[in-house]
Amino acid sequence: MKCIAYEIPAIDIHPSWVLRFSFALMAFFGPSSPGQEQVQFNRDVLPILADHCFSCHGPDESKAEAGLRLDSRDRLLDAISLDNPEESELLRRVASSDPEVQMPPPKSHKKTLTSGQVTTLRQWIQAGAPWGKHWAFEKPIKPLVPSNPYSHPIDALIAARLERRGLQFSARAEPHTLARRLSFDLTGLPPANAWTDSLKADWDVASYIDQLLRSEQYGERMAMWWLDVSRYSDTDGFQQDATRTNWPWRDWVVDAFNSNRSFRQFTREQFAGDLLPDATPEQKLATCFHRNHMTNGEGGRDPEESRVDYVIDRVNTMGTVWLGLTLGCCQCHSHKFDPISQTEYYSLSAFFNSIDENGKAGGEAKPYLTYRSSKAERVLTTARQLLNDRKPIEQRARDEARQPFQSWLSVQRESLRRADFKTWHALEATELSSSEGTHLQQGTEDKLIRATGPNPNQDDYRIGSVPKLSRLAGFKLEVFPDERSSSGKLSRGATGEFILTDVKAQIRQIGSSQVRDVSIVSAIADFSADKKSNDNYGDIKDTLDDDPRNGWTTKGAPKDTSHIAVFGFAEPLILTKDEEVVIELRHRSTLGDANLACFRISWTDQRGEAITKLGVPPLEQWGGMPPEFDLETQPTLHERLFEQFLLDYEPYQAPRNLLDRAKRQVTELEKAAESQKVMVLEERQEPRETFVLIRGVWDKHGEQVTRGAPAAVLPWSETFAPSRLGLADWIASDDNPLTARVFVNHLWQLFFGQGLVRTQEDFGVQGDVPEYPEVLDWLAVDFVENGWDVKRLIRQIVSSHTYQQTSIASNEMLASDPDNRWLARGARFRLPSWMLRDSALSIAGLMDTTLGGPPMRPYQPEGVWEELFMGRFKYEPSEGPLQYRRTLYTFWRRSIAPPFLFDTAQRRSCEVRVGRTNTPLHALVLLNDESFLESSLALAIAASQNHQVPPEQLNYLFSAVLNRKPTDREQLILQHQYQRAVDLYEKSPELAERFLQREQVLVPENLSVVQIASLAAVASMIFNLDEAMTHE
Amino acid sequence: MNDLERFARRFFLQSGSGFSMGALALGCLQRRIEGSESIAQKGQSDLPHFTPRAKRVIFLTQSGGPSQIELFDDKPGLQALAGTELPDSVRQGQRLTTMTSSQKQLIKPAATKFARHGQSGATVSEWLPYTSKVVDDLCFVKSMRTDEINHAPAMTKFLTGHQIPGRPSLGAWTSYGLGSENDNLPDYLVMISKMQRPSDQPLYDHYWGSGFLPSRFQGVKLRNSRDPVLYLRDPEGMPRELRRSLLDGSSQLNELRFDVTGDPEIHTRIRQYEMAFRMQTSIPELTDLRDEPEEVFQLYGPDSRRPGSYASNCIMARRLIERGVRFVQLFHPDWDHHSRLTSWCTARCRDTDQPSAALVTDLKRRGLLDETLVLWGGEFGRGVAGQGKWDSPEAGRDHHPRCFTMWMAGGGIQPGMTYGETDEFSYNVKENPVHVRDLHATILHLLGIDHERFTFRYQGLDFKLTGVESSQVVQAIVNS
Repeated sequence: MKCIAYEIPAIDIHPSWVLRFSFALMAFFGPSSPGQEQVQFNRDVLPILADHCFSCHGPDESKAEAGLRLDSRDRLLDAISLDNPEESELLRRVASSDPEVQMPPPKSHKKTLTSGQVTTLRQWIQAGAPWGKHWAFEKPIKPLVPSNPYSHPIDALIAARLERRGLQFSARAEPHTLARRLSFDLTGLPPANAWTDSLKADWDVASYIDQLLRSEQYGERMAMWWLDVSRYSDTDGFQQDATRTNWPWRDWVVDAFNSNRSFRQFTREQFAGDLLPDATPEQKLATCFHRNHMTNGEGGRDPEESRVDYVIDRVNTMGTVWLGLTLGCCQCHSHKFDPISQTEYYSLSAFFNSIDENGKAGGEAKPYLTYRSSKAERVLTTARQLLNDRKPIEQRARDEARQPFQSWLSVQRESLRRADFKTWHALEATELSSSEGTHLQQGTEDKLIRATGPNPNQDDYRIGSVPKLSRLAGFKLEVFPDERSSSGKLSRGATGEFILTDVKAQIRQIGSSQVRDVSIVSAIADFSADKKSNDNYGDIKDTLDDDPRNGWTTKGAPKDTSHIAVFGFAEPLILTKDEEVVIELRHRSTLGDANLACFRISWTDQRGEAITKLGVPPLEQWGGMPPEFDLETQPTLHERLFEQFLLDYEPYQAPRNLLDRAKRQVTELEKAAESQKVMVLEERQEPRETFVLIRGVWDKHGEQVTRGAPAAVLPWSETFAPSRLGLADWIASDDNPLTARVFVNHLWQLFFGQGLVRTQEDFGVQGDVPEYPEVLDWLAVDFVENGWDVKRLIRQIVSSHTYQQTSIASNEMLASDPDNRWLARGARFRLPSWMLRDSALSIAGLMDTTLGGPPMRPYQPEGVWEELFMGRFKYEPSEGPLQYRRTLYTFWRRSIAPPFLFDTAQRRSCEVRVGRTNTPLHALVLLNDESFLESSLALAIAASQNHQVPPEQLNYLFSAVLNRKPTDREQLILQHQYQRAVDLYEKSPELAERFLQREQVLVPENLSVVQIASLAAVASMIFNLDEAMTHE
Repeated sequence: MNDLERFARRFFLQSGSGFSMGALALGCLQRRIEGSESIAQKGQSDLPHFTPRAKRVIFLTQSGGPSQIELFDDKPGLQALAGTELPDSVRQGQRLTTMTSSQKQLIKPAATKFARHGQSGATVSEWLPYTSKVVDDLCFVKSMRTDEINHAPAMTKFLTGHQIPGRPSLGAWTSYGLGSENDNLPDYLVMISKMQRPSDQPLYDHYWGSGFLPSRFQGVKLRNSRDPVLYLRDPEGMPRELRRSLLDGSSQLNELRFDVTGDPEIHTRIRQYEMAFRMQTSIPELTDLRDEPEEVFQLYGPDSRRPGSYASNCIMARRLIERGVRFVQLFHPDWDHHSRLTSWCTARCRDTDQPSAALVTDLKRRGLLDETLVLWGGEFGRGVAGQGKWDSPEAGRDHHPRCFTMWMAGGGIQPGMTYGETDEFSYNVKENPVHVRDLHATILHLLGIDHERFTFRYQGLDFKLTGVESSQVVQAIVNS
């Protein structure tokens, strides 16, 4: 195996941060003046070489131009002269402005070196070109902690450096601010307001931190982060985007954090829980981490290609999450900047290459663990309770409908007695046209529409009409054999069979240019040909899908008898005076020549059986009875009529819908409470051979490789088992220079908004050089020394003064350190969007805190899923308390992330650094999303129940959201806004009524509508304040 | 906040003249100041690199892989070879999808007839009668190539330059580089045709995503519903004047917080809320086509009367261009015709032919075509071999990455031109190949951007749209 590690240093530089520290300070205080300080290889020289030279003269041997590599000292000696530094080819090239000589060459589009950089190189060569490693590949050593008034090592390390800069820490944040910061950071939720109100400056922060770390919400908060990192999703992604049931793994993550699993054990179980001795089901479950990748079941794709993709995904994810390395680069070639070869990359892939998987998706993506979650039962109980609560309401509404039903019956009896009662009313066309030239004519008496004249191969018939009925529930199409025009056959085609590919209905405003589609949702027919034996044509339902490759034909039935099809609308249409309805019958079949010859269309205003069954609907049946008929003697007909009545009885609709939704929810959760198939890791009997893939192409095999790991990070040794378990041990080895640092940085990023290394995804040569490497190293070493104890590490970080400083910045500080790299103030950044939803629900008292269980669906705008999948997936928000579960439990459809979450990981591939942007679209979510509107209302109700007068109610809203009392000025603004709202709503109370119509939160009857609406409007404004959404 | 404003606010709030007067006055003052200040996003300072030929782009994305063999790339010689096996010398080991890899590759000639049109004599199929009439405004590139054979990777490459999701889309790069000229609308808008049939290829939002660029550069999808932008509509019972007032209230409170914290991000937030408020008016106004004359609907065809249709979206694209939006992208799904070309492909032609041609005509007569680059095409082409029994009406065609046809118009593109040529099987490019990367380089070039110098640093690497392999601007199709 070819090994491309850096050379052993010619001059041993002890990588002590204390030493580097003084250089960094000098660097800060001014441009380095030659001769005053020693140039340091890994800090000063390596970044220049990496940035400007490595892409052609770096670790990728195959790209080494002119055979020159500058990542190894031996090879670099070809380009420099230690005896006569000024004669060095390297210096001549980088200092030249001759395009023929100059390096990097103009065609590379790399920036030329600055004179300062050239000087650095010169000094370094003059000093004998001492060599070293990139800092992140050196095992961290606990730096000496300077002695100063700060007892916390992090603080002492940072304070010393700040002092040299002439700076000092900011004061500790105000108690309520610090409580908010801690609570959001450690639980993802705001603190209970009543508690922060009483905080004094000397409050016990340490025990508050402990309390937060002990709460179950801690595990949920950490899990939300880990799920983003893990690209966890409830669906496959890609074409079919099928649902998977891996959510028990999500609960495993929550539990792992809450029980404070050491990070080493956390790693071992997720990499190789199945390989642990006497592995428990939960340990096997843990390996789902490496199955969270997307799976692609696209037709025509080779499953082996997909399988290779998944293996690659695991290596890249491991590289990003644990090692902070951009390993993905090595899929196609050796790394251009970091000392990792393509061979080493595929050696890593070998650990994941023998999973007993097949590259398939959907329900066939073995291996699975059959796992029954104990968490589902509690969720199911809540759902059942809701159903039980709703049953009597529906029953009552049904009972209450009996009386109006009686009067409806008498009205119907009157109308049935009239001679003109009909279920079906023949359409009278106001317009008959076709796309390709067929002539259509309607008979005046029989209302039959006949096709004559040209007989194009394919044609669309359009029939416009202005029906007289008060509403339209659906229409009937009768197809007749026509003696006159097609010699007694059903169509004008040679075979005499028709094929109707699509049926559409549109409404057009007379005189307007635009039309709107009307949704036809049901279609039934007296006869449908067998699709299989008729080129996919037959089924009447296929006329609704806009696909010309299928449709309705009655082939197989006698051609000389008529046929019927009935189409139902989603909702009855009520046309305004100036509207007409157009029905379009499309004949666009593959072979064509199958256009209708003679047909009739009729309307009905009856919902229910008239459009869902072909028999006689109940009203018509009743109408056909003799005058002396007593309905009571026919209970079946009586009940059919009652059902018919209920369809249109307005007061019954809401209770019925609520009941149906609660029922569907229970059905869904009952399934979830059974055993689930969770995708996990499992080795196959016969290991697969692993090869380098040439240019990363899945079926282009290069040399064969064995399991191993990049030597530049930590050489593989016999002490590691040659399995995923060994790999986990290698990663979480005390000697691994990266893992602990990378993990510390993850947490730092969570609590400070930015990592100590800003490029969380890249600790390599091209990554960010940290401002405080000694802080990173102190924490990393301390973490390892204490058994990779996660809660302890978090306590270390958040107990520091560095963390607890106020985020209020002076103008000078903002100007000199806009990105807060020096940490002379606390971090101020917008909270993740998921915390904003959780926070609103929690403040409003709506949140359901049940831990774990099947996913739920928060409110989202209608049609988001339906549009993407053209109706294949339907979104129904969760009902009752389950709607208010934490965002962690949101059902995650990979192809369309929850729309109310902005700046979120997409969970397609591993993401460890999510951007934070500030756009109008975010504003619209927080202003208009139902979760925030309901929270505003619930909070307004609480305010008016707790306080009598508006000023106090407004102060209540404000401090509930912001954990502090408003200042006098703020009170004035709140009162002014409240008064504006009251003035408006008093003028139009119906607006207030409508504003209070929320999905589930109801306004108690004794409260004033105008006041509550005004309070809710102000509450919504407060939720939208910068302070409300910010980690201060 | 300037000193005058600061003073005014203090004055009003402290003068004791009553909170409502003071706050109200502040609201007015603030709005005046906000109103005079542009809130549009600026582009990169070093762009454009040179004088742009196109200021705006309309990308008519035909998802699924339209058949170049049926629509543009006439190969009369195939009739004589119908049903014979495709020579290995032509196929040269080209990968097939598993849908056809196990069947014989038998040649299926085009199911259509071709004719030459216009002064330029461009060859177009009878299935595209309207496109045929505007050929003198179009430039056909018949030698497009890609590397991917499955939809999602191919479309991802077609739109982001790389087959794996995670890179910024073309529109996001453009928006990031050139910034916005519009105070009331987002800079990159996406519309998807409303179809009844569930599409086999979902249109993932990473196709118009921002990848590693800040998310404000991602395309905003205009939906065909009461809320063209998600969450755009205020809830029932929230009148405009109350929304305005509450926004003024939150701006005032945010200003107070700014005074305490000094965080400039607060001012950005105030501006973004202001933009959101403006979009609540500008977007419904944009999507309401009632002010379009009847003649426009006739031009774009009967389907244009139906909101959400491709034709209606074409009208919308023109309206967006009129309002200065930088990048408009339409998606029309369902061009993946593995079977029954004659019924299926014609259906998609019917949806798109008249409106695409109308859009070119409409832009031209309004004097907008010169500065607007219009692109028509899909992620790959289709193979010459029939899928299924080649001579049955059931037959279709499998995916084909080695050649496909696109057309372009306006924005510095040479009109009335056909560029590139394929072999007699429409299988391999014979002359002037244009890789998807070259297309990207050319689009950027027309926008005044040198693709080699337009980079973004991420994960320690300088990324560019055209990636690491070399790519060329296709100078031959640029109108000089």
